[in-house]
Amino acid sequence: MKVLTFNPQRCDGTRACEVTCAETWFKVTDVAKSSIRIQPKEAGFGAQFCIQCGQCIDVCPTNALFQDKQGIVRVRKQLCVGCLSCVGFCPYGVMYFDTAQTLVFKCIACGQCVKACPTQALEIIETDNVSTDLWERKSR
Amino acid sequence: MITINKRQQVTWYAGMTVQALLDALKYSYPHIIVTINGDLVKHDAYEQTTVPDEADVRVIHLIAGG
Amino acid sequence: MSKSTLKMLAAFGYEVPTIDRGYAGQTLYVNVGSGTITAKPVTEDMKTKFIGGRGFDLWLLWHGVKDGTKWNDPENEVVISSGPCGGTTQYPGSGKSIAAAISPLTDVVIDSNAGGHFGPYLKFAGWDAIEVQGKAERDVVVYINGPGGQVQLWEVPEDCPTDTHVLGHWLLEQFADDEQDKQQLAFVTAGTGSEHTLMGCLNFSLYDRKRQDLRYKQAGRGGIGTVFRHKKIKALVVKGFPVKGNLNHPADLERIVRVGADMQREVATWDPVQNRMRSRGTSYLVQIMDDYDLLPVMNYKFGSHPETPKINGDIWEARYTQGLPDGCWYGCTVACAHAVDNWKVRTGPYKGSCVIVDGPEYETIAGVGSNCGIFEPWAILEMNFYCDTYGIDTISFGTGMAFAMECYEAGILDPEKTCGLELNFGNAEAALEVLHQMGRGEGFGLIFGLGIRKMKTYFIEHFGADPQFVNDIGMEAKGLEYSEYLTKESLAQQGGYGLTNKGPQHDEAWLIFMDQVNNELPTFEDKAEALHYFPMWRTWFGLCGFCKLPWNDVVDPKNKLSSEPQKIMHHVENYRQIFIGVTGQEITYDDIITQSERVYNLQRVFNIRLGHGLRDHDAIPYRSAGPVIEEEYHSREERYDQQLREWLNLDPAAMTVAEKMAAHRQYREDRYEGLIDAVYKRRGWTNNGVPTPEKLQALGIDYPEVVEVVKRHL
Repeated sequence: MKVLTFNPQRCDGTRACEVTCAETWFKVTDVAKSSIRIQPKEAGFGAQFCIQCGQCIDVCPTNALFQDKQGIVRVRKQLCVGCLSCVGFCPYGVMYFDTAQTLVFKCIACGQCVKACPTQALEIIETDNVSTDLWERKSR
Repeated sequence: MITINKRQQVTWYAGMTVQALLDALKYSYPHIIVTINGDLVKHDAYEQTTVPDEADVRVIHLIAGG
Repeated sequence: MSKSTLKMLAAFGYEVPTIDRGYAGQTLYVNVGSGTITAKPVTEDMKTKFIGGRGFDLWLLWHGVKDGTKWNDPENEVVISSGPCGGTTQYPGSGKSIAAAISPLTDVVIDSNAGGHFGPYLKFAGWDAIEVQGKAERDVVVYINGPGGQVQLWEVPEDCPTDTHVLGHWLLEQFADDEQDKQQLAFVTAGTGSEHTLMGCLNFSLYDRKRQDLRYKQAGRGGIGTVFRHKKIKALVVKGFPVKGNLNHPADLERIVRVGADMQREVATWDPVQNRMRSRGTSYLVQIMDDYDLLPVMNYKFGSHPETPKINGDIWEARYTQGLPDGCWYGCTVACAHAVDNWKVRTGPYKGSCVIVDGPEYETIAGVGSNCGIFEPWAILEMNFYCDTYGIDTISFGTGMAFAMECYEAGILDPEKTCGLELNFGNAEAALEVLHQMGRGEGFGLIFGLGIRKMKTYFIEHFGADPQFVNDIGMEAKGLEYSEYLTKESLAQQGGYGLTNKGPQHDEAWLIFMDQVNNELPTFEDKAEALHYFPMWRTWFGLCGFCKLPWNDVVDPKNKLSSEPQKIMHHVENYRQIFIGVTGQEITYDDIITQSERVYNLQRVFNIRLGHGLRDHDAIPYRSAGPVIEEEYHSREERYDQQLREWLNLDPAAMTVAEKMAAHRQYREDRYEGLIDAVYKRRGWTNNGVPTPEKLQALGIDYPEVVEVVKRHL
C-alpha cells in the first residue's frame, strides 16, 4: 500500500507539512488540525502520523473506521459519534479529534505535505511494512 | 511475627517475599497497595521485595463491586 | 414477518426542543389508561435540586402517586430518565437510564439502572424523562418518534410477542424501515415472567452495529417489569436522531474532550493489566470473591467452593465473543457488556433456537450459579437467557432459588409442594423448570415468583415452616432479595445492604474490602462516615446518567499516591469536569455530595410517606450477619472460636456449638444496632431513621408536603 514516510535527517523544522495538512483538510492554519505532527528532538526533528496499522477499526463501535481498497484507514464521517475510543486506543497517539465538528481525523496519506516539504523529508512509498519505522526512514 | 492491616498476625520466615505473603493470604485482587513499615512497594517488585520480621504490612484493597 | 396492524389510541404532536446543556427542558407524561399524553416543563428548581435521572424519577413519582398507593394501583408510575450528562459519548459509561416505580416486592420506591440506548435517545428526542401512568385495557406500545415530533399510543394485535428477544425483532419489523432506522430505535420491554411474578425486570435495548442485532441490558431490581406488564405495556419505543458527539449541546465540549481522551488512554493502558474488563467483564470477580470467602455459596452459607474454577472469569472469557466493542453506550471502552453469541437453547419454549446471551455478569453467575450450588456454565447461560427474555431479575431469581433450595433440603419443601421438583442445591434442571413455570404462570413458579418475603409467609402459613428459621435464612431486606456478596465478616457492608433506601443491593456501597480486609473502618464512626460518603457519591451517578464501573474498575496507578485512594479522586475530578462541561454549572466536590443528599433524603421521606422507611424497616436477616446453622459455624469454626476469645473473652472450649452461636448472635446483632445509631446520626436522621426538618431545610427540600411527612414521626 501507499503510505507516508518521514526522513528525520532531511527535516529542518519548517513545519510546512503541518500547515499544509491543516489547510488542506480544515482550511485553517492552526496546526492543531494537522494529522502530521513535527516535534523537536535532541538532535533534529521527529514526526508522528498514522502508519495505517488498522488497530482502531475494531475499537470503533459504529463501523465508522475502515480500510479502503488501497489499505488506508479512513473515517466515515456520517457514522462517527465522536466517542474518542480510537483516539484513546491508538497505540501511536496519531488519531485526533476536532471538537468543532465532533469528528476524528487522521492521516490518509494524501501526499499534500510531501509536495509542501521544502527539504523532501516526506515521501509516499509503496510498502506493506506498517510500523513506526515509517517515522524514521533513512536516506538512501 | 508480622502484622497485616493492624490486625492479623502472620508467622514470619526468612526470605518471605511480598508475593509469597500475598499468595499465602489468597490476596488475589489486582487493585492493591502494599506498604511495609509505611514504605510503598511497587507492583512489579513484589517478587523481589522481602518482608522483614516484625514488619507492619498494609495491603490496601481498593474498593470494587459493580 | 410483515407489518402488523396496530390501532392508534392516542397521539400527541410536539416540536422537538433544542437540547440545552444536557437538558431537553420538558418531561413526557403518558397515561396508558386514559390516553392522555402531555408535556411537563422542567423547572429551574428541578434542575438545581434534583439534577435528573433518579432525581427526576423520584420528583415526578412523588407528585404522581398518593400516600396509600400500592404497586398495582393505576396511579403507580414507571418513570425513566437518563440525566444531563447521559448521552455524552466522550467518556466511558455515560449513557445510563434510571427507572423507578413503587415496587411490588418492597411496597416502597425502587430505582434501578440499565445501559442501552433508551435514556439518551429519549432525551435527544426531546424528553428529559418519561412518566407512564394508568392501566391499559389491552396490550399497548408507547412510541416516541423524535424525528417525526409525535408521541403515539398504539394497541398491539394478538400476534405481538411478549418475551423480549422475540418482541424486539417484532418491534424492529414494525418501526424500522431500514438499517439506519434500526440504529435509531431503542426499546424498553419486559416478558411473560413479569406478568406472573413480582420480580419482573425491564430490558433496555441497544442495536449492536457490529453484530447487526439487538442486545439488552437490564434494570433488574425491584419488579419494575411487573409494574410495566401490569399496566399492559408491551414496550416503550423511541426513535432518536442519528447519534453525534454533541447532541447534548454541552456548555464546554473542549473540557469534556480533555478528560475523555485522558480516560480512554487510561482504559487502553491499564485495563489489560488490571481487571481486564474489556475481555471478561465483571465475571473476573467470581474467583476473587471465592478467594476472599465472599462468594455466596448455597444460600450464603459458605463463601467459597472447590468447584468455583468451573465458573470463573477464564471460563467466561473463552465463551464471550472477543474483539467487539461491547459498550452499552457509545464511547464505553470499559466494555463490560459482553455476550455469548449463537447459544443454542437447550430447554423451554425456545429450545433449539440460536440466541445471543447478554452476559452472564458477576451477579448472575454468583446468583443462579454458586449461590444455588450450580457450577455448570450451560445452566448459568440458560438461566441468564430465560430470565432476560421472560423479564425476570437474575438476582432475585438466584437469591430466591438459593432460599427455596435450602428450604427443600431442610424439609420445609418436598416434591409434593414443588409440583414434583427436587429442589436440591445443584439441581440446575429443577431450577430451570421453576423458571419456565414463572414464564407460563403455573405450578411452584407462581409461589416462587412472589419473592422471598412472601414465600416465607406462605411457607409458614401453609407448610408449617419455623418462622425464625425462614426469617434467618431468607436473604431479603425490605422485601428485596440480596445481591451476591457475603457480609458476615463486614459490619459496614451489613449496613451497606441494610441501611439503604431501596433494599439490599450494592448500588449504594461496597465496603467489604475497606472494612473486613483492609481494616480501615475500625470504629462505628468510621463505618458511618463511609456509609455516608459512598452511598452519596454513588447516588450521584444515577442523577447524571453515569455508570459507576469506569470510576473504580480501571485506575491509573498514580492513584496509589493520593491521600484517599479509595475515593479515586482523579476520576471524581473527571466527573466534576464533565458535569461542568455539560451543564455550565460550576460545582465543588461538596456540591456533588449535597446534590445526592437531596435526592437520597427525598427518597427516605418518600418511603416513610408510603408507610415504611423507619428503623424497623432497616432490619437484616441474621444469615447476613452470622452463622444460622451449625454446619455454617463448623465451616469457619477456627475463626469464630478465635473471635469469641478476642471479642467476648469467652472460652469456646467450654461451650457447646449452640452456646457459641448464641454468643455470636447477640454480639453481632448488638453491633448492627450500634451501627444504625452511628449512621443515622451521620446522615442527620432521628434515632428512628427519620430525616429531621432541619436536615431537609439545610438541603433546600423542605417543601411543605415533604416536611408534613416527617413531622408525623418526630
